[in-house]
Amino acid sequence: MIALTDSTPPTQLAAAVHAFVEEHLPAAWLAAARADDWVTVTRLREDPDGSSEWWERLGAAGLATPTWPVEYGGLGVSADTAQVVKEALATYDAGRGDVDFISIALAGPTILAHGTPEQKERHLKAIALGKERWCQLFSEPGAGSDLAGLSTRAERQPDGGWLVNGQKVWSSYAHLADFGILMARSDPSLPKHRGITYFLCDMRAPGVEPRPLRQMNGDAEFNEVFLTDVLLPDSARVGEVGAGWAIGIATLMNERSGLSGRPGVGPGRADALLRRAQETGAWESPVVQDDLLALVVRERANQMMTVRAFAESGDAAPTAEGSVRKLANSTLLEDLATYGPEVEPYGGTAWSGELPQVTYDFLDMKKLSIAGGTSEIQRNIIGERLLGLPKDPDPEKDLPFEDRTRS
Amino acid sequence: VEFQWSDDQREFRAGLRRLLAARAPVSRARELAENGTRHDPALWRDLAQQVGTHGIAVPEAYGGSDGSWVELAIVGEEMGRVLLGGPFLSTVVLAGEALLASGDPAACEEHLTRIVAGELTAALAVAEAAAGWDAAALQTTAAGSRLTGTKEVVLDGAEADLLIVAAQGEDGPSLYLVDGAADGVVRTPLEVLDPTRQVARVELRDAPATLLGAAGSAAAVLEHVLRVASIFVAAEQAGGSAVCVEMTADYARTRRQFGRVIGAFQGVKHRLADAAVRTELCRSTAYWAAWQVPGSDESYLGAAVARAHNNDAYVQTAKDAIQLHGGIGFTWEHDAHLFLRRARADASLLGSSRDHRARLLPLVAGTGTVPATPRPAGVLA
Repeated sequence: MIALTDSTPPTQLAAAVHAFVEEHLPAAWLAAARADDWVTVTRLREDPDGSSEWWERLGAAGLATPTWPVEYGGLGVSADTAQVVKEALATYDAGRGDVDFISIALAGPTILAHGTPEQKERHLKAIALGKERWCQLFSEPGAGSDLAGLSTRAERQPDGGWLVNGQKVWSSYAHLADFGILMARSDPSLPKHRGITYFLCDMRAPGVEPRPLRQMNGDAEFNEVFLTDVLLPDSARVGEVGAGWAIGIATLMNERSGLSGRPGVGPGRADALLRRAQETGAWESPVVQDDLLALVVRERANQMMTVRAFAESGDAAPTAEGSVRKLANSTLLEDLATYGPEVEPYGGTAWSGELPQVTYDFLDMKKLSIAGGTSEIQRNIIGERLLGLPKDPDPEKDLPFEDRTRS
Repeated sequence: VEFQWSDDQREFRAGLRRLLAARAPVSRARELAENGTRHDPALWRDLAQQVGTHGIAVPEAYGGSDGSWVELAIVGEEMGRVLLGGPFLSTVVLAGEALLASGDPAACEEHLTRIVAGELTAALAVAEAAAGWDAAALQTTAAGSRLTGTKEVVLDGAEADLLIVAAQGEDGPSLYLVDGAADGVVRTPLEVLDPTRQVARVELRDAPATLLGAAGSAAAVLEHVLRVASIFVAAEQAGGSAVCVEMTADYARTRRQFGRVIGAFQGVKHRLADAAVRTELCRSTAYWAAWQVPGSDESYLGAAVARAHNNDAYVQTAKDAIQLHGGIGFTWEHDAHLFLRRARADASLLGSSRDHRARLLPLVAGTGTVPATPRPAGVLA
């Protein structure tokens, strides 16, 4: 662990992180980062033989999860300080990536807030050191936006453990995960929000079967996960029996907040598109210039809102306010990706060699408007929790789960 | 640090909001607009002398409280919430900042101190039929100490005690002080979309004038004024947009159709949620811009982003308010159209969205340069 505190000035903080990276990052990675060779960096990041030692060093120094308490692999520092660390690591693309988002941003904070001392001991350091990878087992084929309608069953066993049966879906990186945060129905005789319990599911347990789903962008990041007679010990339960909904909502708020980008006002995706338009010559058109400037304005405005949200909330737990940023950012990213092909030769519709980035982004653009709660659900949350409008009617809300209409 | 409100700032905002709610609610703005005065001299005096709004960003040497643009943004947002009319923007923000930035201590001593005390109103006359805020393109000329030319859409130009006029002098574009009542000054009030603010054409026919600050300094001074006024207007837009959302949410919680309050319908709820997001963005851009160091590239960027965003956002939110109120929102009696009128007028004040987007070119596309401002550090010192 290195000595970083909230009272360390940001420039010293950044310098300490840079020094740490330069001493410990694998030499080939460091050299590639210095040479702006991001293709090589990506290859090295994704090669466990080359990167696992680095993740372990990063975690042991507390730099993978700076806001977590020292005893669980963090530095106990504020979100602001953690941000400086994150930005310094980003210079080398040496921070933990998307594949660890669920471990670090969702599973870890949930375990920290609601887990037993044994669960914290067992999992948090392992997450910080990059030795455990997590996935999320929330959505189901019949429970998407209406997540509380989930029907995966967790039945209490005579020994106090749980027998789990059901099917989950849209589980990012489940095929690579060691554990999953799981919401399952423990009591179908209660109304739907009340009979859910939260578990930490060992993905290696017999009966857990992830099957990758090919997505519209060609990637296979999502999975279906079949759970067939999976036995979980009661020590895998988080919180009280039947308290899973509230814990799950806390997890989702972390997700919305985390999906909303990192604070800072400066060149972003719109600027990258502007540069690309300058390269391709599309920028010569004054109409294109104004279109792109309008996107730059929106991105800067979103950045300013994110900075404000971080400043005003401090280190408080995420709230419905995260929905405001999630909606604004996912809409902007979608619009940027929609516009991207306009600056590309042939609209990015025909190419030789590698898939153009704008074409990939175009095919990827709907992801963030759906994942982590659709834009429609975010609008409901904003309308109901921030503006005090009545909740969307759910005629089956108070019915026992087992009596509801099945889709 | 950005967005870290001090206790003093919070108290200042709360006090101002209480005063304006009691003395200048939107119904009062409507009353003043309908009787044509637009201006409440008693409130003006109390704002200046008791609340200190007029000197909030003015150095103590001229009677101000030496605050920053952050405090000025608070004033803009709170005044925007109640559609306060009258000469605050013209006198305190446009003319006051022009005086400050002119670096002319004698003029500040004589006029700025009286603005701060609430004893003088002033207007800044720049735009012409063939020139916006581009000082180089101005047609009004100064021959010695006499001005000739026609200024368009001068905010409060018909009633201001003092005019600050941009004109071509021997050493290039310069600013001049002109007594509003002087011979050779012909002021014609124009009909206006936003009835809370008065706008006039000001003709100068060999009108007597005094040079303000250094000859040839108009471009830099006006650039300074444009930035600070943009932040004030952006904050005003955020305040107005917020009230549109609040009054519409109130209505959607109480108006019933089909056996339910209309806010339960997603068609209503989602439009209102989008308006709420837009309003949070308006606040964020205005505050962020206000928090940057005056004269810095960040301040320039912030002002441009804030106006490029908030111009369109406020108009959209005002439109949404009318849409979601339905027929009642289309009536003269309802306040919604007053917000739409203000929103549209603000969107043309000191630059359109397109103008402000174009101002980003030097910073984001590497074309052109960021215009200079005078002594950035000295302006507020």
